[in-house]
Amino acid sequence: MELLSGWWDDFFWGSVVVAQVFLASLVLMVIFGLIGAAAKLSGNRIVQKIANGYTVVFRGTPEILVILLLYFGSAITLTWISRLFNPDIKFVDVPPFWAGTVAIALIVGSYATETFRGAFLGVRPGSIEAAKALGMSGLQVFFYIRIPEMWRLALPPFGNHMLSLIKDTALISIIGLNETLFVAKQAIGTTGKPFTMYIVVGLIYLGFSTVITLTVMALERYGNHTVRAR
Amino acid sequence: MISPQPLIRMQNVGKHFGTFQALKGINLDVIKGERIVVCGPSGSGKSTMIRCINRLEKHDEGRILIGDTELTDQIKDLNAVRREIGMVFQSFNLFPHMTILNNLMLAQKLVRKTPKAKARDIAMRYLERVKIPEQADKYPVQLSGGQQQRVAIARALCMKPEVMLFDEPTSALDPEMINEVLEVMVDLAREGMTMICVTHEMGFARSVADRVIFMDAGEIVEEADPETFFKTPQHERTKLFLSQILSH
Amino acid sequence: MSFDLSLIVETVPKMLAGVGLTFQLLGLSAFLGLILAIVLLLMRISGKWYLDWPAQLYIYVFRGTPILVQIFIIYYGFPQLEFIRESVLWPIFRDPFGCAVVALSLNTGAYVSEILRGGVLGVDRGVLEAGEALGLSTTQRFIYLTTPIATRLALPAYGNDIISLLKSTALASTITLMDMTGIARTIVAQTYAPYEIFISLAIIYMILTFFLQKFIGLIEAYLGRYTKRES
Repeated sequence: MELLSGWWDDFFWGSVVVAQVFLASLVLMVIFGLIGAAAKLSGNRIVQKIANGYTVVFRGTPEILVILLLYFGSAITLTWISRLFNPDIKFVDVPPFWAGTVAIALIVGSYATETFRGAFLGVRPGSIEAAKALGMSGLQVFFYIRIPEMWRLALPPFGNHMLSLIKDTALISIIGLNETLFVAKQAIGTTGKPFTMYIVVGLIYLGFSTVITLTVMALERYGNHTVRAR
Repeated sequence: MISPQPLIRMQNVGKHFGTFQALKGINLDVIKGERIVVCGPSGSGKSTMIRCINRLEKHDEGRILIGDTELTDQIKDLNAVRREIGMVFQSFNLFPHMTILNNLMLAQKLVRKTPKAKARDIAMRYLERVKIPEQADKYPVQLSGGQQQRVAIARALCMKPEVMLFDEPTSALDPEMINEVLEVMVDLAREGMTMICVTHEMGFARSVADRVIFMDAGEIVEEADPETFFKTPQHERTKLFLSQILSH
Repeated sequence: MSFDLSLIVETVPKMLAGVGLTFQLLGLSAFLGLILAIVLLLMRISGKWYLDWPAQLYIYVFRGTPILVQIFIIYYGFPQLEFIRESVLWPIFRDPFGCAVVALSLNTGAYVSEILRGGVLGVDRGVLEAGEALGLSTTQRFIYLTTPIATRLALPAYGNDIISLLKSTALASTITLMDMTGIARTIVAQTYAPYEIFISLAIIYMILTFFLQKFIGLIEAYLGRYTKRES
């Protein structure tokens, strides 16, 4: 335990970074997922093909590769663009935080498109018809019938997406993000105790995923309390 | 004449699910060759009662004896008892991943240790009995409901059981298929197979039953031979049930 | 900024040289992981708490932590422990390939056991009751009824896990292994051409994934043939 005495602070701030990446990528993931699902449901062949392409690309490519590509690729592009304006610039890069966040949001977002699409289709047509027959407007049907039911259906797989997101943040350490794995590397440099340090990182992530799992369980129970059969 | 020992004896049998009392004070003796029909409203405990006989449900009070063997938690060879009791389910429950022939042969090979060729013969014979030998190599999903149920009956018969239990065998069938299954059951009854049949098919009860039992709220309310049962029911509940079921 | 096609032509063969290692990692980890998954599954459904709880704990830990962390713990962390260094398994843990296989197997084992358990739970209760009524023993029901049906049910999710495993093999490049990703990263460091190299690599992975999916689809179709309805 004395080993860690200098490092608690750093691990704490590393965890904060993990949380920040998680929240930022969560927002983006939902956005990408919804856009993708809407595209797949749109009926427009070209738009559907693009959405399917999005899914195929990001489901078939290793996460680490996407992160590397986005980070180094964007750096090259930005540097090139900046040099058009100022030839003296040597190197411009996208902060690893954003390269990484966007990368994992795109990846998990591609799975989320299927989840949202499935949830949308899973709403019983009978409920929709009944609502319309009762005279509810399109918007009312959407918000009062569609959304609650979709939410209930999407929750379990969405919980898994959130777990994927939090675990993928570890990969961003590879491009230099100052989160827990990165801190661990530095700690190992001075203490020479890799096992201890990486176990600490593991426990931190276990803590995060536990919080997410418990939250999802609570939300599921809330969402199902009216629907569960006695 | 010395009366033969009952194949099945249920003495003061009770069962509850949590706080719900599903069976109360059930007394029933079934002798060889008897054909019994059990009827009653939903939730009356009819299914629970026959499921206790082959211990798919465990009774909580009273005793159940199959032949000389009592059904308890300490029973040594439950499967030996189950071999002798054939069961046909409302939802057929054929093994979906096996052909019809294999459905009929599996238990013969595993439980009765019948060699493959002999099991095959027995299987084909019973398939002919239920009039669908040509379906032998098909999969359950390719058969109609009525055909599947007939296969299920054949599957139970292949084990040459002493007694057959039927748990609402026609309730899940489309009306036009009910008769083909009932015909098989009537044939079986006429040949003297001991059977307990939970059903709503009163025509069946009238033509082959030795005894009709009416259950309600977990108890046996009335039992009598079909003639007496349908013409002159004694209890109010029985009369009410009969009026509901026979009028529509 | 140009897109250097000649560079791609030059480097793709170099990257493909790593495909052997990729498949070794994939095949070995999938196989060992499956064995572990079956053991964990049996522990989970045994009904005995002293088997069920440890299995649950194991699955919880391995699904709740990033696989990269698991790889680092084994590759960088284990050498710190004396009893590892002195054990008979040391040659495995000293070698990056050994560490990668162990880490990937332990990880996929946890996921696959839950997938298998999902299949087992999905078997129609009525079918098992029919087996009981016919006098089949618990073991017989498990072998002849549960296993074939559960396998078919679990196959789609299992296929997805294999694809995930393929993608996870790329992480072996972080512990010095020269699989396709490892080779690619080296080339990028030398040529500063991330777009050409990484995009080509991504396409290679996508092609591999495509064929893997097709293959699994064929197996699914073959095993599920009894579920097709006719007329």
